[in-house]
Amino acid sequence: MSVRRVTESQYRNIIRDTFGPGMQLNARFEPELREAGLQSIGNAQLSITTSGFEQYFALAKSVAGQAVDEKKRAEFVSCTPADQKTKDDACTRIVLERYGKSLFRRPLTEAEIASRLKIASDATARVANYYEGLRLAIASLLVDPEFLFRVEEAEPDPANPGQYRLDAYSKASRISFLLWDSAPDDALLQAAVNGDIHVNAILKAQVARMIASPKLKDGAKAFFTDMLQFEYFDSLTKDGATYPKYSQKVADSAREQTLRTLMDLLIEQNRDYRDIFTTNETFINRALAPVYKVPYLSRQEWARYTFPDDAERSGILTQITFLSLFSHPAASSPTKRGIKVNEIFKCQPTPEPPADVDFSKVQALDKGTVRTRLLAHKENAGCAVCHRNSDPPGLALEHFDGIGQLRKLENGQLIDVSAEINGTQFSGAQGLGEMLRNDKKVPECLVRNVFAYGIGRTTSYKDEDYLIDETKAFADNGYRFKDLLINIATSPGFFKATSPVGLGPAKLPTTAQAATQHATEVRPRIALEKTK
Amino acid sequence: MVGGAAVSVGIPTLDCFLDGNGKAYADTGARLPIRFGTYFWGLGLTDTPAGSRWVPKTKGRDFDITPELISLIPVKDKISVCSGFRVIGDGRPNAVHWSGHASILSGIAPLRAGQMDGPSFDTSIADAIGVGTRFKSIEVSANGKPVSYSTRTGRSFATPEPTPFALYQRLFGQGFQDPNSPTWQPDPSIMLNQSVLSGVTEQRRALFAQVGKSDQVKLDQYFTSLREMENQLAIQLQRPAKAEACSIPSALKDLPMKSASVDVINANSKAMARLLAMAMACNQTKVFNFVHTPGQSETYIAGDSKIYHQYTHDEPTDATLGYQINTSKLAGLVMQALGDFLIEMNAIKEGAGTLLDNMVVMAFSDTGYAKIHSIENIPMIIAGGAGGKHKGGQHIAGNGDPVTRVSLTAQQLAGAPVGEFGSGAMKTARPITEIMA
Repeated sequence: MSVRRVTESQYRNIIRDTFGPGMQLNARFEPELREAGLQSIGNAQLSITTSGFEQYFALAKSVAGQAVDEKKRAEFVSCTPADQKTKDDACTRIVLERYGKSLFRRPLTEAEIASRLKIASDATARVANYYEGLRLAIASLLVDPEFLFRVEEAEPDPANPGQYRLDAYSKASRISFLLWDSAPDDALLQAAVNGDIHVNAILKAQVARMIASPKLKDGAKAFFTDMLQFEYFDSLTKDGATYPKYSQKVADSAREQTLRTLMDLLIEQNRDYRDIFTTNETFINRALAPVYKVPYLSRQEWARYTFPDDAERSGILTQITFLSLFSHPAASSPTKRGIKVNEIFKCQPTPEPPADVDFSKVQALDKGTVRTRLLAHKENAGCAVCHRNSDPPGLALEHFDGIGQLRKLENGQLIDVSAEINGTQFSGAQGLGEMLRNDKKVPECLVRNVFAYGIGRTTSYKDEDYLIDETKAFADNGYRFKDLLINIATSPGFFKATSPVGLGPAKLPTTAQAATQHATEVRPRIALEKTK
Repeated sequence: MVGGAAVSVGIPTLDCFLDGNGKAYADTGARLPIRFGTYFWGLGLTDTPAGSRWVPKTKGRDFDITPELISLIPVKDKISVCSGFRVIGDGRPNAVHWSGHASILSGIAPLRAGQMDGPSFDTSIADAIGVGTRFKSIEVSANGKPVSYSTRTGRSFATPEPTPFALYQRLFGQGFQDPNSPTWQPDPSIMLNQSVLSGVTEQRRALFAQVGKSDQVKLDQYFTSLREMENQLAIQLQRPAKAEACSIPSALKDLPMKSASVDVINANSKAMARLLAMAMACNQTKVFNFVHTPGQSETYIAGDSKIYHQYTHDEPTDATLGYQINTSKLAGLVMQALGDFLIEMNAIKEGAGTLLDNMVVMAFSDTGYAKIHSIENIPMIIAGGAGGKHKGGQHIAGNGDPVTRVSLTAQQLAGAPVGEFGSGAMKTARPITEIMA
């Protein structure tokens, strides 16, 4: 779809990149929607509800208020009005052009500037205060749909007559949101101004520059936060009586721990993506140490830590994030964990159980281990078809309880962590990690996820050739995540747009038409259809 | 005149303007406003092959109170218990823990979980009666998760207030104006803030020019929200009508009460019911959507390792008693919250009666018998006097009629101009006239 609501992290990053890191943002954002494994796909369906708009409105007033605050305005307003009590269109224009370009991810049109100049001058006239007018004009940019939605537009592709491609600004934004989870910076927008971004060498140089930027971690964190379904942390609850060590601080730290592990492994060390299932290396802090049952000796807030072999930890599946997110409030859940291993890392969703399923065999047990109860799944052909894939990875993780603490016993009985899928035997978390590391579906799934995340829709059969090529390139590069991002962000397939229903094949505009469009400042809008 | 613009002055509602019965304005005959709300809880109530723990045996008036409805005794005369209504899928699959309430709210059996194939009907009621108050509707989720089933597009769902603190802030925090303040003055900054929104409206045409249909739905929703914000600001510039029953609750602190155990959810639910009742008494909103627990409810009894959802499926039917013991116990606890909710509404005096007498609350769940994800016999309860239009205190047996009949009844009682509701086999033009005055 061509209109997508910006996410909470994108909103925060754009504000930071536009106004600087000092801007305070206190608001509750609307929930996002997960579909086909990713929020970036589900979000494409979302709009802004009444209460959501109230929040954006409040934020707009707050951000604009901070920008013109008497003590701080020198930092934000680069010109000084001739008279603080009357309007100064020239100064207002400078401010609007600067912030508008970053917020809208393109230069503002003359009409967009004019309407804000009017807001500013009307208000200034009413209250005899230049900065009050400026505040309202800035706030008006911040509630505009052009800021709050990512509006992607297509244009006829000169290289492929009859087909569409993203226009230069939409292309710059798509790259920037993928790599930085934020709006394009000045250099990238500059490459879009004259369409330079369509030149392959310039595109590659821009992407290389962006990959080297510290902001790459914002992009990578946003991607993994989406892929690993961390939004469930916002409403995760654990039973205090069963897990007294669990707290909000533990939950927040766990999230941070997994992201730190991934950034270190994939961005800093540029290692093989598949190592995320087997690495012993991680970071811990004072809140996490008791749950992992290790002492915390560092004086720093975070410290590197390598788990010994007998800790049975193996990569991110054995961190508190995964283990606590996919459990019950007061118990672990092999089925939930197994379903999520397959869904998140192998792109293999599990269908909902049939509505009329007979649960009479799956009875509650107060004794023994959960394995006994799950045996019932095997005995029923209707259950077995899914559970023979979903239960084994979860059973291998049973040495970790509902918040990820190591344990060997359940109800006084030794827990058996051996498992088998399609004839392959494996045991415990380390066995599972090793198996995933060697599963060819794992890199395939990552490539599919990065691509779908960037374009904001599910992949279809039309994308299969592209995905096969990209997966091969990923393997050839030794499964380096950064190389995968570079390949996708510079591939024509990432910017392809299909013809909207009813519009027919693309026609290149004549020079005269293009000139008229420019003169009237009306930008052509062409909706991008979902290719399903 | 404030800042160059005219400000209209509202007329306060004082008892002396009411007629002798306290039900209507004496001079115009206009009734006290009707408020409408949905109340949702997850996992239905307990049916078993042997019998029901909630369906009363007797029909009509003086029905018997069943074990899982005990908490509703204090408001029994003001509720109609509707049993035996079902979702008719027209061949669409039963999307578990979704098809039930999606059908009740949208009138259409949904194609799949997570989305509705039409707007939820509370939005049309809000459009009809939710005018003149600061908020067109207020959404609440008492379980800590931001769950709401109110939707205009079938895709974007309303964002609810997830804690008592958040609800307090929204209703009585910044922007709240005391209707009974003797020194009310319009806030001149509101007019300036109005101009912020004007910049957007002018561009509407350009943005709409060439987008596809689904994008248009999203932009429509955006502009609806924008208009409601404009409306909110306009209302804040008017002197609020006096509200006798309005007493501003004292400020709440944000407690780290993040738990899904049923005692915590019920405590939150009660606190939020009280805030909501006061919001209506203070004319802040006339419509709400309240979610006690979501469809696949994860609530549990503190310290118990199994959640409610697991119990409904796994727990064997007790051979002696003939029902699932823990499941039924949890159902009773969940219904306690509904009882408490209605009692809060009934505690506020309004005219000659109570706030509840001028309300329509439609309470319902996602399933009937949760063990088998049944979408037959989904418990539905209409509560509140609807300003005299609801003849409560009855048990209505639906005999397999579509759930949309109850939805249609609620809409008509609330005053929405709706003659029929639903589609396919669930299309109906027959409200439950037995409970309508």
